[in-house]
Amino acid sequence: MKSSRSLLVLNTVAAVAILIAVYLALVQAPEATNVVEEIRPAQRIIYFHVPSAWISMVAFFVTFIASILYLRTNNVRWDIWAYSAAEIGIGFTIAATVSGSIWAKPAWNTWWTWDPRLTTYTIVLLLFIAYFMLRGAIDEPGRRARFAAVYGIFAFLSVPLTFMSIRWWNTIHPVIIDPSAEFGLGPGMSTAFFFSLFAFTILFVDLLANRIMVAWDEERVAALREALTAN
Amino acid sequence: MTYLAAAYGVIWLVVFILVFSMRRRQEKVVEQLETLEEIINEKQ
Repeated sequence: MKSSRSLLVLNTVAAVAILIAVYLALVQAPEATNVVEEIRPAQRIIYFHVPSAWISMVAFFVTFIASILYLRTNNVRWDIWAYSAAEIGIGFTIAATVSGSIWAKPAWNTWWTWDPRLTTYTIVLLLFIAYFMLRGAIDEPGRRARFAAVYGIFAFLSVPLTFMSIRWWNTIHPVIIDPSAEFGLGPGMSTAFFFSLFAFTILFVDLLANRIMVAWDEERVAALREALTAN
Repeated sequence: MTYLAAAYGVIWLVVFILVFSMRRRQEKVVEQLETLEEIINEKQ
């Protein structure tokens, strides 16, 4: 009862934070002045595109840590955390990829290019889709959790590579936080940008908490089924 | 403006799918738990 009340509070806080983020991004934030006029409305996409990419990486980091903890403790709780976070991570990787592609059309005059950031991020997406394919291919729960944990740790290695790709390699993808860079944060844009990062982080915590709760109930169903079959 | 609407639409669609799929699973799992508990109670 207490946990469902906490979850309700968290759901409400996340919804309010997202509403404020939408207001800041679409109404309060000034038009970007460091880009040509035709791109200015589309430049507001970054307020939700970057936070989507951010929480996808946070989600995969949670999978990474939970996978290590599972291998150390053999506690099913960490397996639940790992796949719950990975599932949300995949959702937001798709959101960031598609919204980025829509931004790229007016900014770069193309929907897609095999730029290092876009390429490495696509690899991240495919690696975590494969994470669920691996899970689906193994029936025995303990074995499935162990294999997935090892795979999850290695799959995560692609995430820091993606994060650093725009700093290490020659790329057309902007470094948004650098105000001097083309397509970077212009004057007055920081409040909406950083609040959106904060709001999306709360949204992620909320989605993860809800997903974990469902996963625990699914575990209970599996345990009851097993007990019934054994009797 | 079309690009802006499309990009925000995609992000909200993903959030909606995530929330909707969790809700569906929650309903399904609660239903299964009730059925299983009934079977166990009948057996006892």
